[in-house]
Amino acid sequence: MNQSIKDYWYPVGLLSAIDAPHQTLLLGADITVGRKGGTFWVKDAAGNALPTIERFGHLWTCPGTPNGDLFTIPEADNPGRQLVDVGSVRVKCSPLRAVENFLDIAHFPFVHTDILGAEPHTEVERYNVNIREDANEVWATKVKFFQPQAAKSAEGGITTEYMYRVASPTCAVLYKTCPPRPGEWDVITLFVQPLNEEWCEVWPWMALYDDDSTMAEMVSFQQLIFMQDRSILENQIPAKLPLDPGMEAPTQADLTSVVYRRWLKKIGYFYGAQLVAA
Amino acid sequence: MILYNYVLSASCYKVRLMAALLGRHLTLKAVNFHPAREHKSPDMLKLNPYGTLPVLQDGDDILTESVDMLRHLTADHPRWRGDDDRWLALAADLNNSLGMARLHDILQYDVDIDAARAAGIKQLRALEAHLTDQRFDGHIFLTGDRPTIADIACFPNTALAPDGGVSLDTYPSIRLWMRAIRSLPGFIEMPGIHRLHELEFAT
Amino acid sequence: MDWIAVGLCADVPARTVVPRRVLNTDLAIWCSTAGDFHAWGDRCPHRGMRLSHGFVRGETLSCIYHGWTYDGDGACVSIPAHPDLVPPKSICAAQYACQVADEAIWVALQPTQAPVPVLGARRAIRSMDVALPAQTVAAKLKQPFAPVIALGGVHDISLALQPSSDADCLLHAFAAPDQDRKTVSHALEHMRNELEAAA
Repeated sequence: MNQSIKDYWYPVGLLSAIDAPHQTLLLGADITVGRKGGTFWVKDAAGNALPTIERFGHLWTCPGTPNGDLFTIPEADNPGRQLVDVGSVRVKCSPLRAVENFLDIAHFPFVHTDILGAEPHTEVERYNVNIREDANEVWATKVKFFQPQAAKSAEGGITTEYMYRVASPTCAVLYKTCPPRPGEWDVITLFVQPLNEEWCEVWPWMALYDDDSTMAEMVSFQQLIFMQDRSILENQIPAKLPLDPGMEAPTQADLTSVVYRRWLKKIGYFYGAQLVAA
Repeated sequence: MILYNYVLSASCYKVRLMAALLGRHLTLKAVNFHPAREHKSPDMLKLNPYGTLPVLQDGDDILTESVDMLRHLTADHPRWRGDDDRWLALAADLNNSLGMARLHDILQYDVDIDAARAAGIKQLRALEAHLTDQRFDGHIFLTGDRPTIADIACFPNTALAPDGGVSLDTYPSIRLWMRAIRSLPGFIEMPGIHRLHELEFAT
Repeated sequence: MDWIAVGLCADVPARTVVPRRVLNTDLAIWCSTAGDFHAWGDRCPHRGMRLSHGFVRGETLSCIYHGWTYDGDGACVSIPAHPDLVPPKSICAAQYACQVADEAIWVALQPTQAPVPVLGARRAIRSMDVALPAQTVAAKLKQPFAPVIALGGVHDISLALQPSSDADCLLHAFAAPDQDRKTVSHALEHMRNELEAAA
């Protein structure tokens, strides 16, 4: 059963920053986000209240009929983690391109040079990707990459292990090697609010083990990484994500993105996508 | 020297870049400018009542204007000084046009975006005309064949123009000037300004 | 227009790449280390990133996104994520005919037998963007719309027209070899102001 694009939960605000009513866009339509006392609200253009969820430090809404609860991230509730509101950034790109870039590691040496990757350590070894039918999510596992500076908490270069999880069409979660606590995963998320098909607001959020960095340092690191991607995202052609093969040539390293596109097609999520290889 | 810094600020970058090109160390203190507006916190306002970034602390001296910081860093480096007043004024204009357009597009600053971009384009055209004249004289930088604080002050907002929806595609002299700056020994990037990978060959 | 000027050689030195929009087609114009010019579609076949943001090493152009590297024939020769893979021959950049003549770079969007327009004894001055369609510029200068228009005058200026989109163009300006380039450049600024003023 294909869910209508309106029936998903989308991020629309940062709980710690919502105050006076703020107008924004969701799937091309005006919405207003605000707070009255301790209650957060979202209204559509006609003034009707939309359902809301407060989770992961963000306010979520659904412009249609919610098909179940918003996804959960159990690791986020581990005690001792720093929960980091990274702050939103707007990008002139399809929300789906923003997610696909987040799932990609082959660009690390060229876009996040000397931080998440460096030449000549450019090889992407085989990893696994599958669609978890029960949760209707895409998961990539056993991903690894050599990184000069994997996280604010890392001292020196390490081979980082990754897992990627596409929890909904415009939301992805990254689990990566936690330098101070081997055996645990740091959690980094990208929640994408589709403003329209070629414009999005990106809300990154993190749940990390890091007792040494200040909040400002952790926020800075993630903003730096995301903003390095922004100038790539705003220069990809076509603007919409092509879901049909033929236009773009993937390789083995692109397996997560290949499965993501196949999954979008399967669930019928075409907002920000194009089907025809024009 | 301590620099109270925001990773995405073009003005903070001017100071970080200048220090890097001089080989001078700065202790960076990250300020959560966005989303937490930490630059307006009581502690930060005690340091700088203007509530702006960057702030440079050198012993008892506290500087709050990036131009003053560039002058301070180059006080003992006369080769980095030149006939700069005109260019430092342009740098301020670029901040107010291209810089504000960028903050509008990225962080939703309340800006008359059409006016900001139009002003930015006018300034870019003036910059292009001057840099073209310079190239006719065999120079690549704003005031001669060596970079000065004039170049460093104007570079960030120019190079980040596309972040605010202003293209740099049609300014050949500006592109060559930016490339010359990005090729300087000690150059450091910031998000939106990529490393020049052609300068390093993969083994 | 068979051949369209897209830039001055002096503005695309060895190991650089620039973007150019020609008749609404986005191109990446680049010069190899040995000085060979190429005009390609501004799109990497991998994930559609603009090649004009890329980097030139040796005789190749690489995409900034994943470092995919293309040789002078447009063929992909290296995919850094898979160093041992010989890239399939099907992966290649879209190529356009490109020639250098009279200090300018000329591109043909369609195959043509026509010769590159001749500028004559001219020296390259600069390229300048105008916020008007190329046809309007020609009309306002009382010239026929052609790849090169000769304005003559005291500097004996010729303009090679590059129609970019429906609303703007690039003018590649040349003048008599004995003219002071700064003087000509300032005259061109003045001309542009006049063209754009009377909208």
